[in-house]
Amino acid sequence: MLARTSCVDAINIDIVSFASILQLGDSCIINGFSKALAVQRETEQFYGNEGDLFSYPVYSEPIPFEPVNEDLSFSNHHLNPVIKVHNIDIIAISSSSLLHVGNSKDVSMEVRVKHIRQLLPVPREEDQEQGQ
Amino acid sequence: MNFEVYNRELIVQNIKIIGVASSSLVLVGDTESIQLASTFDTPAESLIIGPFVPLQSDVT
Repeated sequence: MLARTSCVDAINIDIVSFASILQLGDSCIINGFSKALAVQRETEQFYGNEGDLFSYPVYSEPIPFEPVNEDLSFSNHHLNPVIKVHNIDIIAISSSSLLHVGNSKDVSMEVRVKHIRQLLPVPREEDQEQGQ
Repeated sequence: MNFEVYNRELIVQNIKIIGVASSSLVLVGDTESIQLASTFDTPAESLIIGPFVPLQSDVT
């Protein structure tokens, strides 16, 4: 059923980083998973051991998927069994992402991201007056 | 449901992408199933204003 051939003349990628994949050719199962904790601070102060992911529910809460129960009769006809792409130009692939040229069967990707911003306390007007 | 597909000519000249990030996918080909999931948390709950306190350290 999946019989089309993908044909790409040229691929130009600058960066493939953080467990990302460039896959040329067919595949069967792909599971991608990424967890990221992005901390931005007003003062540039970071320790190397911070960030316990288990203390944030965003990394463990279940993502519900509805099962497909529909009775489906699917048929496709490849009148031209070639997917032709002349040029692919990508600057960056990052964080368990994927560029796939070819056929696959089951692709499952998941990402969990939390942003934290820490700002310094805003000086109150009373404090400023006392200081002066 | 009856779903019938006729794949005729598919020719793309140029694909230009700045970034593919956070478990995203660019596929040139056919696939049976794709499942994508994402959780994302950003302020207000994640905005901390006050004296600097380190986050809980990673014990693993």
